[in-house]
Amino acid sequence: MKNLTRAFTVFLFYFAATALTAAEEAEPPVTARDVPNDAGGAVDITWLASPLEKEEGFQGYDVQRRAPGKEAFETIAEITPGEAVYQDKEAEDGVPYEYRVRALPAEGPPVVLGVSGAAASGQWFNTRRTNVLVGVIFVTTVIVFFIYRAKGGAELFVRKIAGLEAVDEAIGRATEMGKPILYVTGLGDASEISTIAAMTILAKVATKTAEYETPLIVPCYDPIVMMVEKEMVREAYAEVGKPDAFDEDSVFYVTTSQFGYVAAVDGIMVRERPATNFYMGAFYAESLILAETGAATGAIQIAGTDRVTQLPFFITACDYTLMGEELYAATAYLSRDPLFLGSLKGQDWSKAVIITAMVIGTALLIVSVHLGTGFAKLFETGAG
Amino acid sequence: MELSNVKTILATDCGSTTTKAILIQKEGDEYRLKVRGEAPTTVEKPAEDVTRGVLNAVGEVEELTGRKLIADDRVLVVEDENEGADIYMSTSSAGGGLQMMVAGVVKTMTAESAQRAALGAGAIVMDVLASNDGRLPHQKIEAIRRLRPDMILLSGGVDGGTVSHVVELGELIGAADPRPRFGASFQLPVIYAGNKDVRPNIEQTLGEKTSLYVVDNIRPVLERENLGPARHEIHNLFMEHVMAQAPGYSKLMSWTAVPIMPTPAAVGAIIQTIAERERLDVIGVDVGGATTDIFSVFQKVFNRTVSANLGLSYSISNVLAEAGLADIIRWVPLPKAELDERALRDRIRNKMIRPTTIPQTLTELIIEQAIAREALRLAFVQHKGLAVGLKGIQQERTISDAFSQTMTGETLVNMLTLDMLVGSGGVLSHAPRRVQAAMMLIDGFRPEAVTFLAVDSIFMMPQLGVLSTVMPVAATQVFERDCLVRLGSCVAPIGNGKAGHACLRITADWPGRGHVEEEIGYGEMVLLPLGVGEKVVAKLDPVRPFDLGEGKGQAIETELEGGVVGVILDCRGRPLHLPEDETARVDALGRWLTALNVYPGYGEQRTA
Repeated sequence: MKNLTRAFTVFLFYFAATALTAAEEAEPPVTARDVPNDAGGAVDITWLASPLEKEEGFQGYDVQRRAPGKEAFETIAEITPGEAVYQDKEAEDGVPYEYRVRALPAEGPPVVLGVSGAAASGQWFNTRRTNVLVGVIFVTTVIVFFIYRAKGGAELFVRKIAGLEAVDEAIGRATEMGKPILYVTGLGDASEISTIAAMTILAKVATKTAEYETPLIVPCYDPIVMMVEKEMVREAYAEVGKPDAFDEDSVFYVTTSQFGYVAAVDGIMVRERPATNFYMGAFYAESLILAETGAATGAIQIAGTDRVTQLPFFITACDYTLMGEELYAATAYLSRDPLFLGSLKGQDWSKAVIITAMVIGTALLIVSVHLGTGFAKLFETGAG
Repeated sequence: MELSNVKTILATDCGSTTTKAILIQKEGDEYRLKVRGEAPTTVEKPAEDVTRGVLNAVGEVEELTGRKLIADDRVLVVEDENEGADIYMSTSSAGGGLQMMVAGVVKTMTAESAQRAALGAGAIVMDVLASNDGRLPHQKIEAIRRLRPDMILLSGGVDGGTVSHVVELGELIGAADPRPRFGASFQLPVIYAGNKDVRPNIEQTLGEKTSLYVVDNIRPVLERENLGPARHEIHNLFMEHVMAQAPGYSKLMSWTAVPIMPTPAAVGAIIQTIAERERLDVIGVDVGGATTDIFSVFQKVFNRTVSANLGLSYSISNVLAEAGLADIIRWVPLPKAELDERALRDRIRNKMIRPTTIPQTLTELIIEQAIAREALRLAFVQHKGLAVGLKGIQQERTISDAFSQTMTGETLVNMLTLDMLVGSGGVLSHAPRRVQAAMMLIDGFRPEAVTFLAVDSIFMMPQLGVLSTVMPVAATQVFERDCLVRLGSCVAPIGNGKAGHACLRITADWPGRGHVEEEIGYGEMVLLPLGVGEKVVAKLDPVRPFDLGEGKGQAIETELEGGVVGVILDCRGRPLHLPEDETARVDALGRWLTALNVYPGYGEQRTA
């Protein structure tokens, strides 16, 4: 305890002494230094405001630079009054430049404020982004931890998602009714996350339709998506040992015209009367048109999208709706693959920690503003 | 004879081992049980005639009442004040009851409906075939050939629905060329209750190979189940094929005024009648030696399940295998160290090979009742899985459903709305003390909020069931006055808390005790004596976070009914968790058993 008190006293003295020294040191009129935490090629120049600024007609400052071996300074910027900082973004890395700042009075020659030297250089690590590094390490560690847990046989709880639980039931309904299943993957292209999620769910649905020997109809908006989906469905049929049951024409291209596509899909619904409709992926204004037509034909409908604006339409017109991230979680939920399950669980925990940190941080920030504890400085990223 | 003029009713139930006869007589405006007689069933050699057992049992009734009931070697049915019965009827489960296979397209849809139809008709469902059951065609054919059911119920597809799947199932049955269990010269009865468009195909496939009967589709649309026609046909075929083949049944059938019913169907009928007349949600259970039947009526929907592998004699080892020794021992108020696990396993297996033995010591009785608790629990889990709403139906949503999208096919069993729990079968009906039966029912079913407990006094529900098909008022009167042994109400708050914290406060004017205000702590049980027929209006105030159905901490005012046990206040919480720690578990069990005086003197006996 005694040692602890002594250490604290020493720390206080050191802190006070450092502050005193800093106060006593005179600040140079012009300072040039390499921009920290950058990729190089830039130097910050700062200066103390000239007393001439108070005079009427003061024109501002000019910033000059001189490369090694050169005689004359070259003006690189003219700064308006009131400013006292300039960043030279034209500097070459490793070249020790000299920077001179001159005040420009209303009349008469410029007054040199001072000269300072600096060389630009790039840094390997941006210390302002340490929090991001910590975050990435934390999230990765959590995900890897859960993947290993899942692979080790631990039961990872994933809450029941009604829309995914109902997939079997929806396919069963189509089988009993002797009707096809319609699977719409929306208007997204193959690079959209929601389309990729929709395709993975399609693979699972296709496995079931192959098992039940129930027809599947997949009209596509995007030709590339069509190619990928056709292969996925073909593979699903092969996986359950029924490659011959796969119908090449079950996955087909319609059009890239939004409402032309909607008209075609609605036509299929009215003519074929599918018992089950799936709408998974990216949807826009067509969501309600599709879902309403499907409901009117008496189909069970399962929708899933990350488009927040379309969710209310799906929720009211469909039997089950996967909302936002539930769509992304579908792969892990349906496959129960330890890799996906571990990732899902890891991401969820990471989000929980981040949200908790945000809530605590916000609370502390509010307290800090009112009590002036200086806590807010911790949140300054220093960017810019 | 006009049914309103019937004054004397004779009913028998031909069980696998015992034939039970009851005589009901009208006294004033009420029907009451007069006497009961029983005799061994005589389906097997040397008699090979079920009527011998019936006459023996009726003979016992005759002796006890002095009323002539047998003449010319048959039951005497005459309109006479002084002799014979006005009406005679019977149920039967002899020879293993009705054993069926069912088939449907999707396991959770038409196959499940077919299963419900068969179970409701009183059958034991030996296997469920479905297009998606994961078996290869040859495995299904092999199953049909090996199991040799009494009949097959084939369903599948809604009307206008799938054809190929149903035809495929028909072809599988045809390929198996199945033979019935009884009567090798007869063709196996197959009831087709599927898509009406497939009837010609099924007739073509099965018409010559089986004895095919076509009835209305059990799922004409997915939104509606139509089990009546299939159940009716099962009853008819049970009479025509199964019963007619069994020894002596054709003679017995000629004696009865109403068709002979399978025993479980009859029990289901009386449970349904009571639930309908009294507007109650009811669960009935019959724990047998080989099977445990559970009947329920929730939201006016009747369901029955048979756990064919859970029983207390022939199937007792299955209970041990399914529940595990640890789950059985947890109900025994003894430290594990004091129980010789090996001896215990041997004792249980002995019961299987000598099914008629009964416990000789109190410890043996406690162990048997512990096994009964687990058999009830496991059978109830199975029941909840099958007593479900229809799956695959379209739903209507509003935006408020965004975060609570309920699924179809949820269980109908809701312990909060359960009004009455009726137990039957030797271990419950013949428990040395009624409070033991009450404890088994509570621990096995874990009723929530307020539930009335009862047991069938002498297992006459089958006879009353068949009676209820023609004289529901008479059946209800006898059921309530003579069949049911009223145990009392059980109050069980939902939720869990910390030991010692308050759980429930009860306020009431109690007969013989005056104004009662009691607070019961979490983890405790209390028995408040209240006699048969006595009722008390009590204010039940659960302490947060406990709930009696009206919300956490919300008090209710309700009528509690007494019985031979009294009112049981079960504050162990729901879900019920027994303490993990060995000492705490034994201590808790000891407290509960002492509070209810379940095994009087057991503590002293152990100490001595």
